[in-house]
Amino acid sequence: MKMLQINDLHVSVLHKPILCGVELTIKAGEIHAIMGPNGSGKSTLANILAGREGYQVTGGKLLFQGDNLLGMAPEERSRAGIFLSFQNPVEIPGVSNARLLKEAFNAHQRHQQLPEMDALRFRDYLQSRSQQLGLPADWLLRAVNVGFSGGEKKRNELLQMMVLAPRLAILDELDSGLDIDALAVVAAGINALRDGQRCMLLITHYSRLLQQVVPDHIHVLIDGRIVLSAGAELAVLLEERGYGWLSERVQ
Amino acid sequence: MAVGEGTMNNSLQTYQSQWNERLPALPGCKLLSWRAARQKSMERLLQIGLPTQKMETWKYTSGKLLSQRGYTLPDPACLGLDPEDLSPYLLEQQESNRLVFVNGLVAPFLSKLHDLPPGVRVESLAKVVNNAPDEWEPYLEQFLTGPDQGFSELNHALWADGAFVYLPEGSRLEKPLQLLFLTTTSQNPMMTLPWNLIIAGGNSQAVLVESYATLGQAIHFTNSYTSLVLGDKAQMRHLLLLGESPFAHHVGTLQCTQTMGSRLHSQLFSIGGKITRQDLHVTLAGTEAECSLDGLFFAKGEQHMDFHSAIHHTHSTTRSQQLYKGILDEQARGIFNGLVHVPSGVEQTQSQQTTANLLLSDRAEIDAKPQLEINSNAVQCSHGATVGSLDPEALFYLQSRGIDFATARTLLIHGFAEELLQRFSPASVREWIERSFHFGGVHA
Ligand SMILES: Nc1ncnc2c1ncn2[C@@H]1O[C@H](COP(=O)(O)OP(=O)(O)OP(=O)(O)O)[C@@H](O)[C@H]1O
Ligand SMILES: [Mg+2]
Repeated sequence: MKMLQINDLHVSVLHKPILCGVELTIKAGEIHAIMGPNGSGKSTLANILAGREGYQVTGGKLLFQGDNLLGMAPEERSRAGIFLSFQNPVEIPGVSNARLLKEAFNAHQRHQQLPEMDALRFRDYLQSRSQQLGLPADWLLRAVNVGFSGGEKKRNELLQMMVLAPRLAILDELDSGLDIDALAVVAAGINALRDGQRCMLLITHYSRLLQQVVPDHIHVLIDGRIVLSAGAELAVLLEERGYGWLSERVQ
Repeated sequence: MAVGEGTMNNSLQTYQSQWNERLPALPGCKLLSWRAARQKSMERLLQIGLPTQKMETWKYTSGKLLSQRGYTLPDPACLGLDPEDLSPYLLEQQESNRLVFVNGLVAPFLSKLHDLPPGVRVESLAKVVNNAPDEWEPYLEQFLTGPDQGFSELNHALWADGAFVYLPEGSRLEKPLQLLFLTTTSQNPMMTLPWNLIIAGGNSQAVLVESYATLGQAIHFTNSYTSLVLGDKAQMRHLLLLGESPFAHHVGTLQCTQTMGSRLHSQLFSIGGKITRQDLHVTLAGTEAECSLDGLFFAKGEQHMDFHSAIHHTHSTTRSQQLYKGILDEQARGIFNGLVHVPSGVEQTQSQQTTANLLLSDRAEIDAKPQLEINSNAVQCSHGATVGSLDPEALFYLQSRGIDFATARTLLIHGFAEELLQRFSPASVREWIERSFHFGGVHA
């Protein structure tokens, strides 16, 4: 079953074209990875999927489970099952992780016409999730990402993903800033969510993550176009040779 | 304006004739000294007048206040209020002590004062002054200190009642004491002028909650004045909750004199009123005296809130801290002016002043400014003022987790206030504040 379908997507920022005809289809159960040089448009694609403002979609189609994403507000996309792990998660002073997770989780429950979880049960649920990720006890009481190290912010994104259990997880450089042990924890978390119903889009610069979360397909994005798609073995090749040879091929 | 019927407008002559008419019946006036004090305030008022736009510290607010209609002084009529009517305004802790005033006069049947520690007095000031005027003469002094300002003089000339709280040396109030000032709807809009006198003896400790509310949507004017005297090493937490009707005008002063080693923690929360002006004057008149002033205000619609603090470090080794946060929506207007004064020869003082403001609309406005008058070099002093709006990145982040826009906005606003909110206690007060945060979304 096709979960995500992107056809001939064109996106500009301030009249500057960033994505120029992206084609991508992700089926249920699949993991796709996107690699590519800095500034090639990877985060732009992730943001467009999550519904961030400030971009002009100048052409193409974006379908999630058959629905047109372009007409949906960010919160509607989230409730439909899309989750973006941000490359640079924002700090939110005065709003605790527990608070955010509770509001988000209950919004998802309401959307699915399921009962909200009561405060006590939800606290236990959160605690077991955060223990699973090896997070300290006071984590849930701390303000969202405030004063968190780069790696801690990434783990916090993963915690949110695990609580919301998305159908499409877009992980924008979830691995950058993580130490080797943390990467293993994160990879285990991602793999735990992996099943035949869900799909993922991993954006990364390194093959290390892709060795632990083995993707079905790897795509290379250069200058807003997917110039090459191949199997998991491509990661090692890219790590050895970089993108230069591909850029030349594009030109 | 029918003066004889007790209506007055904002002209000094009508205040004066009201005063002439009422003086003999006002508290303390059987005694020459109290009479003289009222007389003095009236004369001073006639001399200086009510604040005008020409006065720097009143430039934003005087015009709005003075362009208003006339007000009636309340008559001591018996009001058929039920204790039930009070419940939205009470600290939830049923057992907490309270002294309630309705339309400026004490309401003994609505008050509840039990198991006060020995020697602690919580009474109607009018009663105290009428019953034993000599005993309390020393505190007449309190009339004469504080801001030289028309509205305070008006209060001092015409006050009819208020709270009298006396904590003897070493005493300790275990439970918060609430002083509740309620105004009801009436045919003619009322002006109430409570004067509160709170004396905390050496080493005493207490938490006081002074709250102002309106029953219904009345138009009225509260002109309040609270005098606090903190003895050596006394510790006082004073909460001021301003939650009057959206048609009310409120001009209030908190005047505090602190001696050696005493500590004042003032916590203000303002959400009500159409026009609010609150002054806080603290004099750190003893070594090691310390005050910390917290303020949180939330204004929307056409609300106008003006806060002026003045901290006078008259002694060395005194410390002050201020954190004021304003949230302004729609066309609301906010003002924060914080004066810190350190005269020459006073050393090793510390003062910190921070004001942060959140504008939720293009039409909302804030004027926040520190005003430092430091004439000494041996001081540590810092100040900062910020104005911002909601972070669109943070809004998107929350929305991307499935939270709708309105709730996301509420969470961020609440997050802005959180640092101050969590300092409010007892929990019942914090809950009351959170309930009154009607952001049109989920309560955070
Ligand atoms: N809001 C914006 N305003 C201006 N330029 C933008 C904006 N957003 C993205 N761009 C530009 O679009 C291009 C693609 O950016 P994007 O963040 O998608 O790159 P990326 O592939 O994720 O890079 P990296 O690997 O460094 O994360 C860059 O040149 C960037 O400067
Ligand atoms: Mg990027």
